[in-house]
Amino acid sequence: MPLQPFSSSQSLSMGVELELQLVDPTSLDLTGAASDLLHLLERKPFPGDVKPEMTESMIEISTDVKTDYDSLLAQLREMRDALVAAGDKLNVRLAGGGTHAFQHWSEQAIVKKQRYQQLSDLYGYLAKQFTVFGQHVHIGCESANSALFLLHSLNRYLPHFIALSASSPYFQGEDTLFDSARLNSVFAFPLSGRAPFVLDWEMFESGYFRKMEATGVVSSMKDFYWDIRPKPEFGTIELRVCDTPLTVERAAALACYLQALCSYLLTCSEPAPSEDDYLVYNFNRFQACRFGLDGIIVDPRNNKNIPLREDILQTLDKVQLHAGRLGCRAALDEVRRILVEGNHATYLRHQFAECRNVKGVVDAAVDAFRGQP
Amino acid sequence: MLQPIWGDLVIPFTLLLGWLLGELGQRWLSIPRISSYGIVGIAIAVIMNISKTLFQVEDLWSLTLLAQIAFGLLLFELGYRVNLAWLRHNPWLTLNALVESAATFVAIFCVAQFFDLAPVPALLLASLATATSPLTILPVINEMKSGGQVTERSLHLSAISCVFAIVAFNTVVGYWVLANAGDTFHAIWNSLIVLFVSAGLGVLFGVILPRLLDLADTNERQSTVAFALAVAGLILVTHSLHFSPVLATLVFGLMARHHRNVRHQTQPNFGMLGDVLIIVLFAHIGSRLQLGSLLDGALLAGAVILVRYLVKSAAILGFAHLSGLSLKKGLLTGLALMPTASFGILLLELAAQRGLTFNETMSALCGLLLLVDLVSPIVLRRILVLAGEAPKVN
Repeated sequence: MPLQPFSSSQSLSMGVELELQLVDPTSLDLTGAASDLLHLLERKPFPGDVKPEMTESMIEISTDVKTDYDSLLAQLREMRDALVAAGDKLNVRLAGGGTHAFQHWSEQAIVKKQRYQQLSDLYGYLAKQFTVFGQHVHIGCESANSALFLLHSLNRYLPHFIALSASSPYFQGEDTLFDSARLNSVFAFPLSGRAPFVLDWEMFESGYFRKMEATGVVSSMKDFYWDIRPKPEFGTIELRVCDTPLTVERAAALACYLQALCSYLLTCSEPAPSEDDYLVYNFNRFQACRFGLDGIIVDPRNNKNIPLREDILQTLDKVQLHAGRLGCRAALDEVRRILVEGNHATYLRHQFAECRNVKGVVDAAVDAFRGQP
Repeated sequence: MLQPIWGDLVIPFTLLLGWLLGELGQRWLSIPRISSYGIVGIAIAVIMNISKTLFQVEDLWSLTLLAQIAFGLLLFELGYRVNLAWLRHNPWLTLNALVESAATFVAIFCVAQFFDLAPVPALLLASLATATSPLTILPVINEMKSGGQVTERSLHLSAISCVFAIVAFNTVVGYWVLANAGDTFHAIWNSLIVLFVSAGLGVLFGVILPRLLDLADTNERQSTVAFALAVAGLILVTHSLHFSPVLATLVFGLMARHHRNVRHQTQPNFGMLGDVLIIVLFAHIGSRLQLGSLLDGALLAGAVILVRYLVKSAAILGFAHLSGLSLKKGLLTGLALMPTASFGILLLELAAQRGLTFNETMSALCGLLLLVDLVSPIVLRRILVLAGEAPKVN
């Protein structure tokens, strides 16, 4: 199947997808309730989109195309409230967080959908281990080339989003010492990681995608699990490194921070992206996953070490004007609060310290999602 | 001289044989373990029926005591899984549960009357048949690690029907005492006082123990031991004071859940302790089968099974849409609520220990219905797989 032509969309418009956990209120373990919940939600109009994900204990919600923080947050809250109400009716709890603290991957059931069954056959246990929960943010691009430009310009800022959203310190009942253990599960897939350094869409299509398609390894863009990938049918780039935060408020703030950053990058105030930027890409990514906001990254332009927290603060200053113009200054305030109070991985570790049990971590995640932290 | 030796050996051999058959049945024929345990119990009943000298019911007294503790642990766990907030958020489900129990009670009473049963036995039968036995449902759900609406509703509807059955049963017993002895004090004692004090003891245990565990700062494993000992203690207390251990343990579980600290949850199924005691429980229930009078009430038993299934299914389907359930899952939930007798048998046995003995017909009927309970786990497994709530059994 040839690559779809890149549809043009309103520059800097945005959309958010959140993968959410379905939790049993008694055991606080994941529960295979996606089909029941979707059946109930089908009965009346849902304020957005909701669909099944890889396993029966996950669902994915997505917003409409938005341009500003207030309307994005309003829709996310509406969706959250509708989900919580449906969950209450079925004795199911919902939670954010990049991983469930103590679920066992082998107990998860793959959703009965052809694509997921094929992926399960292909990837074996990796498919069930993929019971991890991410936030994807789409940013609208007017042209395919501006999408590729943004995609590669963002490579240096990727650790910001990993560290700010990190909410998966616990995995299979243990503290992994990572702030985002989720990305380790994603990294196990052969087509994960970074996109090839191509800045021209025609080159990307004929020089890369067609060759890959000819190998039989991929048939569509969906087969790539890159950290950022173009989404030609939507006319967007899709940032996929964020853990699902514990609250929709944080999810909206992260999306708007990305929007403001893209607006800044499109002014070409920074040197153009280059292949050499990727020399430190995996190292920086690791620092953000492992240490969160306390990570130290290497600036590929001057090879200097810089604390991640400081780099984010500097970037916030740079994008402040753009945020004001886009109507998302409140989102940047929320990002500043994260830098002071810590990310959600820190919050979950505090919860564990208080109750000394991973079940308490899930309990706290459930309450946070309902807006009752 | 052989008799005492056999008498001593019957329990350990029964349990070992039960375990072995449970594992082999599970591996080769995909039969849920509890069905095999029950079959071993029936084998004991057959042996006792054939040979009156090999061993007697008295030899099984420790099996009875352990079975009652196992029964209590299961009821505690059922109570612990009931989420009262769900019943508040989904009033249609609550109404469904009440209508289902009340309608089953009335329908079974009418069936019993149709078969010329006297009013009191008819009311007792209606009380017992109202309950969906958690003894059969909970072990299968634990074994399958199932999750979803059929699972959750089966457990909640079972819990509510059990409470309904206990209240109805004790009320009928009170009426029976009044009618037979004309003793108002004993009538009230056997109904209202027994119910209130039993529930009160459950509340007391359910409020105090979580607090004690907080103070002792125990982990999940230690909490499991503490809860198990508390359940055993509650059973012995209620038993010796002639209250209802069934209601007390169920309420204990319910209260413990709603005063819980997640750090002090019990292990599912009470860990290995639950695995051992469930063998005792089902071997014991199987051994209660009265073979001599088995066919006496066959027609009535058949009618009870059919009417019970139809009424419960109709109630669930009637409320399915309103309470957020698909018709397919509604049908499957109706089927999942078939087991009843294992609960009834133990309720009758506990009543007998309070000095309340009933018509032989009741025991014969329960024995017959028990056969359904032993087949039910096999059906329940298929139901959970069909509902997509448990992995396929290989």
